[in-house]
Parts: sequence; structure tokens; C-alpha cells
Amino acid sequence: MGDRRLYPGYESFQYEISTLLSTYPPPFIYVQDTEALGTSLGAVDALLRDLRNQPASECPSKIYYARVDSIACFTARLFYESVINSLVEWEPDWEDGCENWSATDGDVRWNENLDSFLHGLRSAHQHLCKKNGISGGTSSGKNKGKGKQINSGHDNVRLVIVVERVERLKETLPELLVPLTRLAELVRLDVCVMFISQVGWLDIRPPLGASPDPYFVDVQSPSKENVVQSLISNFATISTSSSQPTPYHPGLTSLYDHFASVLCDICFSFIHDPQELHYIAAARWPGFCKPILDQLEDIEVDLPNNYNPSEITRMRLNKLFNPTISAALEVLLPRLTNATDWALANEPPPNLLNMPGSTILQVKLPSIQTEYHDQMGIMGLPRMSKFILLASFLASTNPPKSDIRMFWRGLDEKKRKRKAVKPSGKGPSKVSQRLLGPTPFALDRMIAILGALLEENDADSRISSDLFNIAGEHTDMEIGRVGVFSSVIELTSMRLLHRTTPADRLDGPPNFKCSISYETAVLLAKEVDVPLNDLLWDPV
Amino acid sequence: MPDVLIPNLDDVNKTAFCIPFNPDGMSLVLAERLPPSSFTDRDLENGCELRFQAYKVAWKKCLDRVQEIIHELQSASAHSVVKEVKTSYNNPLPGLPYAELPVISLINPSLGISFLTSIMPLLESQESVASPVDQVHCLVIHLYPADFPNIMVGMKSIIAGFMDNTDLERGNHKPATSLANYDVKLLAAWHKALVKTSGTPSNLVIVLHDFEQFDPAVMQDVFHIFSAHVKELPVVFLLSMSSPSTNYLNDTYSRATMALLRVRKFAPPSGSTFFCPTFEPDIMVGPIVLEYIQDHFTRYNSFADAILTILQVSLTSYTEVYPLAVLVHDTPSLDILSDPGSSEFVNSLAIRLKLPFANANHENTRQKPFTPAEIRTITKKLHNARKNYHSRYNGIRMAFTLMVHIQTYLEDQGYKGLDWSGDRKPGSEPKWTNLFKPMLNVMHGDVQPYIKSLSLIVRKSKRKELQDLLQILHSFFEANSEVEDISKDRTKVVSWKTGLRSVGNDTGSLSEIAVPFSEWLTEYLSSRLRPLEDCELWDVWYTGHTPFSSELLNPSIRASMMSGLLRPHDFAVDFSIPLKEPPPEKAIWELPDTSILFKRYLDSGRMINVYDWFESFKTVLDTQREKIQDLQVQEPATPKKRRGQKSKMQPVEKQETPKAMTAEEEEKWNLEVQARFVRALHELDYLGFIKHTGRKADHVLRTYFDVGDAE
Repeated sequence: MGDRRLYPGYESFQYEISTLLSTYPPPFIYVQDTEALGTSLGAVDALLRDLRNQPASECPSKIYYARVDSIACFTARLFYESVINSLVEWEPDWEDGCENWSATDGDVRWNENLDSFLHGLRSAHQHLCKKNGISGGTSSGKNKGKGKQINSGHDNVRLVIVVERVERLKETLPELLVPLTRLAELVRLDVCVMFISQVGWLDIRPPLGASPDPYFVDVQSPSKENVVQSLISNFATISTSSSQPTPYHPGLTSLYDHFASVLCDICFSFIHDPQELHYIAAARWPGFCKPILDQLEDIEVDLPNNYNPSEITRMRLNKLFNPTISAALEVLLPRLTNATDWALANEPPPNLLNMPGSTILQVKLPSIQTEYHDQMGIMGLPRMSKFILLASFLASTNPPKSDIRMFWRGLDEKKRKRKAVKPSGKGPSKVSQRLLGPTPFALDRMIAILGALLEENDADSRISSDLFNIAGEHTDMEIGRVGVFSSVIELTSMRLLHRTTPADRLDGPPNFKCSISYETAVLLAKEVDVPLNDLLWDPV
Repeated sequence: MPDVLIPNLDDVNKTAFCIPFNPDGMSLVLAERLPPSSFTDRDLENGCELRFQAYKVAWKKCLDRVQEIIHELQSASAHSVVKEVKTSYNNPLPGLPYAELPVISLINPSLGISFLTSIMPLLESQESVASPVDQVHCLVIHLYPADFPNIMVGMKSIIAGFMDNTDLERGNHKPATSLANYDVKLLAAWHKALVKTSGTPSNLVIVLHDFEQFDPAVMQDVFHIFSAHVKELPVVFLLSMSSPSTNYLNDTYSRATMALLRVRKFAPPSGSTFFCPTFEPDIMVGPIVLEYIQDHFTRYNSFADAILTILQVSLTSYTEVYPLAVLVHDTPSLDILSDPGSSEFVNSLAIRLKLPFANANHENTRQKPFTPAEIRTITKKLHNARKNYHSRYNGIRMAFTLMVHIQTYLEDQGYKGLDWSGDRKPGSEPKWTNLFKPMLNVMHGDVQPYIKSLSLIVRKSKRKELQDLLQILHSFFEANSEVEDISKDRTKVVSWKTGLRSVGNDTGSLSEIAVPFSEWLTEYLSSRLRPLEDCELWDVWYTGHTPFSSELLNPSIRASMMSGLLRPHDFAVDFSIPLKEPPPEKAIWELPDTSILFKRYLDSGRMINVYDWFESFKTVLDTQREKIQDLQVQEPATPKKRRGQKSKMQPVEKQETPKAMTAEEEEKWNLEVQARFVRALHELDYLGFIKHTGRKADHVLRTYFDVGDAE
């Protein structure tokens, strides 16, 4: 039962499942975990491994199991192959040409259709019975009682098939759902099918009542204490005692306990998934314990096996590192960077504990983020692309009817600005377009706006040419260039613009949507010196 | 023969006919020949090939140089990417809840695909980038968006890609009862066997080109599958992205997918240096071209490839039309020059070299061949000119480099110096990028302000600065001793340097050194920084102020379409001859059919009645017919003008009586007009000028409106 203790908080769940599986399992179990699926999968796996090795005295049936991931098994063939191969614990070998498992040497295909799969399951069952010296549950038991087989004392072989992330199976292989739920009926063996998903059964259930109702198990989301427990037990598994003081030295266990509870205090209100908390802990712990290791190294003391830092040291560490933990959460949870790089970038300076009490740790992003952050990439675009993006942003945010008012050039400049809208008392207030998202626009309209922008803001930066005499003629020339159109296509391929009409439609102008944010647009406008707020119909 | 040319249109067995183009049937006016290049008559016999040879050598040199610069720019970051790929699986952070799948995203906005190509040989080579302990071998496959239409094909192409890469014998197998060829477990088994046979672990690198074009729904499953097998399969994904947004992955993929990956981002540097002091191109591009390159680079396309394209186009167009470009590398042999066919070429050369025997006034007379002695004189002169040009060019280069050195020093000391950084935002760009404008000024010959202010600065400098400046000069001369004979200048600098030690600190005694130094500097710079155009035959090696037509690379679609339709004859005008006056407007009947139709189109309203359109078209064609017949009557009087077309005229000349048309001819003519109308109409339709409307019979809609039509 060694592995099970890694999953604190799952005791009752594991108890329920193991009792069921080792006694009289329902043919179809549905496990739902909305919050920490990864951890639940691990818990189920640990549990099944335990059950698989249980002696006959505890469980009269010998359990074999197969775990199948619905994403990896995107065809029925893959599904059948992985179920049967892992039930009989068969490893395909390259030298044998990666043959699938087969009971006899003949060309028996288990992977062709459901029928052959059922046959495959039966012969797998038979094979496993034989292996354990059990006179198989099925009718054909001719080879029983051969001397070499070890009688393990089990009286039955029970197959457990775990289908993970079953909501994807509904998309890729919907025809398999009903047979799987009724597998025990179809194959007439001691089989238990267990579905695990984040989604509820009601959303997956095939129509017309084709499937029997499952035995429901809902996994409770782990409590804070449980997560702390699991962090600590995780530390215990990876800690190795060595003469070199590493962050995972067993001597630091009590400090780690403290660290784990601090970390959970800060992060648990945002995220309950133990795996995510592990991730953040892994990124922060090496930095957290480094001052202690530095200090010990300074006074040349080996790390004792139960090192317990003084209360003052702990409080100093808390004060120093608590802000960085929430910063780590902000960056690591959306994976803006990875834990390894973050840990490297935020390694505390040496001898932190000898510094004055007012020291504050600066949170740094890994180097690539600082020297090449998002906006700089946008800033590196060619000038024309910037104008095109701005024109698209305007075309996507302003209503088409407003264009003439926003962009016309005339004597009366005052009219250009929109009159302040009086909030009318009745009816729902109108939501600004920027909050509603971008609207599609025709390419022609964007090009026209681009012309207006270029005429106002770009005319001076061009290479002067004496070919153009009429006002606006040069701009007219510029917006019709091949470069402009190829830039539009290029921006589309960068996903900064989004094409809403199909690419193969030749009739009519193509429509686009702008997918840059308001903040990016403001930055771009500042860069090319366009008064963006004056040109927006709904200025901020 | 006629039955070959004219297919039997009544043949019911054929579904399509090929009606070959028959130029004899075209009316004479329309079949006007393109005017020959003004240079043709003074070209060498095989001038084209020779120039192409010269171009090839010159371009090769230029290309090598630019590629070297690009390579230098990217080599550092290429190495770091390679190192990252090779050590992806070394030293994972302990304590992670599960093993992450390493993903390296390459953001390459400016260097484009060339960056990736420079990485690949490094990756595939065994060359060590890290310590040998960390070193792993890399197996690389390249995949493109088309390989991933769905998850099954995608997995199949990954697995097949790796398996085809190695010659690992797979045991006997039957496809039906073995693992499917899109099963990741097959790859795992293969990798196990691979490690067993080769004995060394190797990272499996999957390069995904144009990553933005991959379907995220497919890719998230691929990532999921490989992350589940990351312990058996050390896979590294290398994503080549064109998006400048570093957040593309976070924007597009769900958090659940991102949590499986360990993403590291790399961005190669952008920006380029065009002008390097130690580089001597065969043909120097002029400032106008450089200006265009810079404009294009910042405005449209910041790929290094674009720079190469522009340089190449400018060199090609230069060597193509310009006969003297043959002389870029060396002079053609005596035999070629004494050939009677090349006498015009030699003559034009002689005129340029201002030799006494040149025949400057050779209109209408054929140039007689030159004597070998004369040709030898020309060759010698040419040789001198080449030498002069190169020394002048070297001089400019040296002087400019010197100026840059001094300026860099002054900026380091916190002075404005020559104020070259005028439009630069502080700290935003590296120092060398704003050398561009001064360089252009130097090439324009606009250097006096620089020299003046430099000499002023030198005069006013303090002792320490003077010392440093002299030291800079000294080491500069040391470094460039083989480029130019500078021993005299060097001695001067050395003597001032020693003199400086002995003089006192006050302004008076300092100026004893500073004044002659600044005078010398002024002299040195201004004797060298003279425009290249002053050399004899400069235009062989220097494109000078030849304009670079942006229409070549980046035409304005609408404008060129309009000009093509409205002034089709302008395309045949040779712009290399300076125009004295704009060519006279052609009358409407002289235009091709499509242009006639288009002119009438512009005259109409929003909707066009097709019948009226046809009628107006017919009127023009009738005029055209009459005019051509008139011309043919006058034709024999001026045979000189249309020498080459005599043979074509014969069939027309037979029908000498144009006026009267028989009924049969009339009918035939009407048919022809109709056919020509339909053809022209379809052409306009194809170009998108017509929109069909179901609302009104026989009417089409205009799609193009001129600026003047707005009201």
C-alpha cells in the first residue's frame, strides 16, 4: 500500500472503490472529479496497482486492469489494442515487429471491430485464468490443471477497464460508449468498466436510455490540510540524504512542513488542484531554503537530520518570500513561464539572512520575458503593418456608419468628435463595442481607413517623390500596393487579424476581424503617433 | 498548311479548339514593335552573356557578404537554441508533479526562415555544444501544417518521419495484427530498440514549421499524447513561429495543454548593418537604392531576404541594360574589341574616355573598326580608371570609418559629437543603427558640415581627449596599413603624440598640437570624402543616383492596372532616354480593344447598357479601320520608318480601294467587331471591372470609379 499514502484526502474514495472492486463490483462505475482530475487518476492508478498485487486471502478474485486514455485512443483500433495489451501486460517488441498480444500463434485479430474485441477479451481472460491456475470462468477449460501453473489461490480473474477523460470518447468514438457501458453483459465475464471524467454522466449519457445507469462516485476536492499533507509526503519520497546539502535533504523536512503550510495558506484560495500547488512549490522551494543552506555552509556545519530553524529565521523567511509566492502563482498558474526558468530567475541573492531586515526580494521574470516581452514583438513589426493593425482595430470597433464622420477632412473639424451620449433613463444601457468584441469588416473599408490614417500621419515619412501632385494621390498609390495586401495576409497568418470569410471565396471583398487588444492598439498608436482616442467612436 | 492553322470548327468530336495566335492578322498599328533599348546599338556582340557573367561574380560577392553578416547576427542565438535542444532532458527541476514536455518556440520575425536553416546543420551535427556528459544526439524531423490535417495523419507523419530517418530493421510483422502505424507505442518500441542498438540516448526533435497554421485542436491532442509518454520518448518540439506575439501559445491553447509543456522562447536578433568598412563590393549600390531598401525594410517587410531581393534586383537591372557593365571586373580581350561588331561599343567607350580618335558625331554612319593601337590606348586608360575608382572608394571607406571611430569615442565621452543620433530615442537602439543617414550623406557628397564640426571639436578638445584621439588614429592606421599607403600620415600622428607629452596644460601650448592636427584632419577627410561620381567611368562600378523603381517589387495594383489600360503605349517607352516632352496622347482609335472599351466604360454612368457600349465601340473601330486604310495608302511614301514590317504589309496592300465595302465584307466586318467586343468585354470582366446584375436586362454595373467621378 506504499503509494496510496501519497494521496491524502482520497482515503474514503479509495476505500470505497477498493471495497467494491475486491468484492462484488457493479459492472459500470462512473467517477467524476471536477477539480483535480490528474490527482484522481494517480490515486486510482495507485489503488489498482495495490489491488493487482493483493493476495488471495484479502480478495478472492485476481484483478487485472487496463487504463485507457480517451485522447490517446483516437480510433477504435487503438482503443481495443491498448485495452487488451495492457490487460495481459503485453509489451510490443520492435524485434518482433510490434505484434499485438494473441493467445495462440494464429492470425487472430482482436482490433478489427467490437465483436472481435469481445472475443479478444474472452481469450485474454482465459489466458489470465490459465496463468493463475484457475479453471477459467468460461466454458472452454480443456487445458486446466497443467502442472507448471502456479495456483495462487484465487478463484476468479476479474478485469477492470478504466477509461480516462471519457468526455473525449464521446467526440471521437461515440459508437463505443453504449457497448462499453454494457460490456459485462456483452462479454459475459467478470468485467468492471470504470469511467473517469471531469464532466458529469448526464452530459455524456447516450440518448434513448441505451446505457444502464452507472454506480456514481464523486470525488471530494481535497481540503487544504490534505494538500499540505500531500506536499509533505511528496517531499519525503524525493528527498535523498547526501552529504551535499541539497534542497531536498531530509534534514529540511520540518522547514518544508512550514513552507508547505505557508504556500497553501497563500494559494489555496485560488487553486485547489494539488498538482498545480506541487508545481508552484517545486518552483519556489529551492529559493526558499537557499538562505538556510547558505548560512549553514558559512558556519561550516553539516545539515543535521532534523534541522529546525529558529522561530525568528522562519519569520524572516516568511516575510521575505511570502510576496514572491503569490507572484509565482500569478505567473506559473497560467504558464506564462515554466517552473524551471522561474526558479532559476528568482534564486535569492547569497547570504540573504545576513542582509538588513528591510530587504525586499524583487520578483523577476526569466530573461527572455524581460528582454523580449510581448509588446516588443509587436513593436518590431514593419511600419505599414502597424498602420494596418490600427486601421483594422478602428474598423472593428467603430460602427461603419461613423466612418465618414470620423475620417472626413473638411473645414469643420469640430464635427468630427462624437457628441457626448446622454444616458437615457429607459431601456438597457448600450454596451461599448470594445467590450462586445471586434466586429468583422470588409477589406475595402479597412483600406479606406488606412488611407485616411496614412494621409494624416505618415505622409511626411515617405521618400519624397515629384510624381504626385494632387493631394492624397501618393497615399492612394500607397494603399494599393502589393505590399499592403501581402502584409494583411501575413498578419492573418500571425493571427493578429482573423479572416471571417472562407479563403476560397472569390466573390466580394474578404472580411476580417481584428484580434489585437485595446492596450496593444494604444501602444501601436503611440509608436506611429496616431491620436487613437480621437478616432474611436466610443472613446474611453 | 491552312488546314493546320485553321481548325475545323464544325468537328463534333472535339470539345475544344486551339486557335493559334496569328500576328499577321493583327492590324498594323496594334502590332507596333517595342522600341529597342537606346544602348543596343553600342553593345558588344555577346554583351548580354558577358554582362551576365560579370553580374554573377558581383552578385556572388555581395550575397556572400550579406549572408555572412546575417550569419554573424544569428550565430549566437542559434547556438543557444541548439544547446537548449540538446540538453532539454538534463537536470529537470526536482519535485515537479509530473514530467513536462519540452517545447521550444522560436520567434523569428526578421530573419525568417534563414534562422531555422542555420540551426539545422548544428543540430544534426555531432559537434559538442555542452559538456560531453550532457551531450545527446539529436534526430530531427520537419513537419508542416499540411502533415496535420487530423490527429491520425499527424501522428502517422511523426512516427513515419522518425522511422524513415533511421535504418532500424523492424522484425517480421503483419500490419493487421501489429500496432497501428499511428500508435505512439510503436514509436516507443522503436526508440527502445534504437537506444539498445546505438547505445546512446538521443533526443527526438520535431520541428513544426509555421506553427500558427497548425490546427490547435489537433496539436493539443498531440501534445497530450507525447506528454503521457515523455518518460519513454525524449521528444522535443521546436516550434517555428512568425507571430511577433510571444504569447501565441498561451493565447491559443488551453491551460490544461499548457500545463503539460515546458515552453522556452527564443527570439533571434533583428536589425542589420549594411555598410561595413572592410567590404569592397564590385558594384556599389547608390544612395537612392539604399534609401529604398531602408524604407522598404521598415515599412513593409523586415525580413533579411527582402534586402537580398532588392539588392539583387537592383544589380540585375543595372547590369542588364547597361553595356559598360561588362567592364566591372576586367577588360574584354583585344580580339573581342577589335571585332567590327564591337566598334560601336569601343567608340562609346572612347567618347567617355575623351580620346582624340573617338567619333562623337556618328549619326547615320557606321563606325569603322579601330586599330589595335587605339584599342590598346583605350584599355590602358580603362585600367587607370579602374585603379582610380578603387583607390577613391577605399579612401571614402577609410575616411568614413575614421569618422565613425572618432564619433564613437566622442559619444562615449558624453559629447554630442556630430549629433548623428538626432532622431534616436535614448537607449532604445544600438549605436550602429543610426549610421545610416550620415552614410547616405557621405555618398551624396554632402560632408562639409561633418568635416567642419570635427575640426572644430578637435581644436577645442582637452589634453586627455587629444591624447585619446591620437591614439585612436594611431591604432586605426596600424590596423589598416595594408589598405592604403599611409606611412606619411602615420608619422605625423606619431610625432604629435610624442609632442603632446612635452607641451604644457594651458590652452595656448595645447593648440600648438591641436591646430595642425585639426588642419590635417580636415585635409585628410576632405581629400578622401569626394563623391564617387567624380571618377572617370564611375558608372561602371557605382549605380549612383539611378532611381530604383518600387514598381518592380512593390507595385500599386490599382495604379498599374489603370495605367496599363489607359496608356498602354507607355509600357513600350524606353525611360532610359530622357524625355524632352511628355509623349503625345494617343487618339482613342490607336489603342488596343480593351483600352477602347475601358475608355468608354469610364464615360458611362453607374450602370452600362451593353448594347450602347457595343455601339460606341463599333464607332471607334470603324474610325480605326478607316485610319489604317488611309495609312496604308500613304505608306509607300515613307518606307524608311517601317522597314521591318514590309512583309506583313503585303497582304493588306492588295485591297487598294478602301472606300466601298461589299455586303459580304460588311457582314464579315460586323462579325469581327462583335468578336473583338466580346473578347475585350471578357477581359474587363476577368479583371473585375464589371459586376453582373440580374435586375436589369442587358445592363452591367461598374465597379471602378475614378476620383473625378465621385460627384
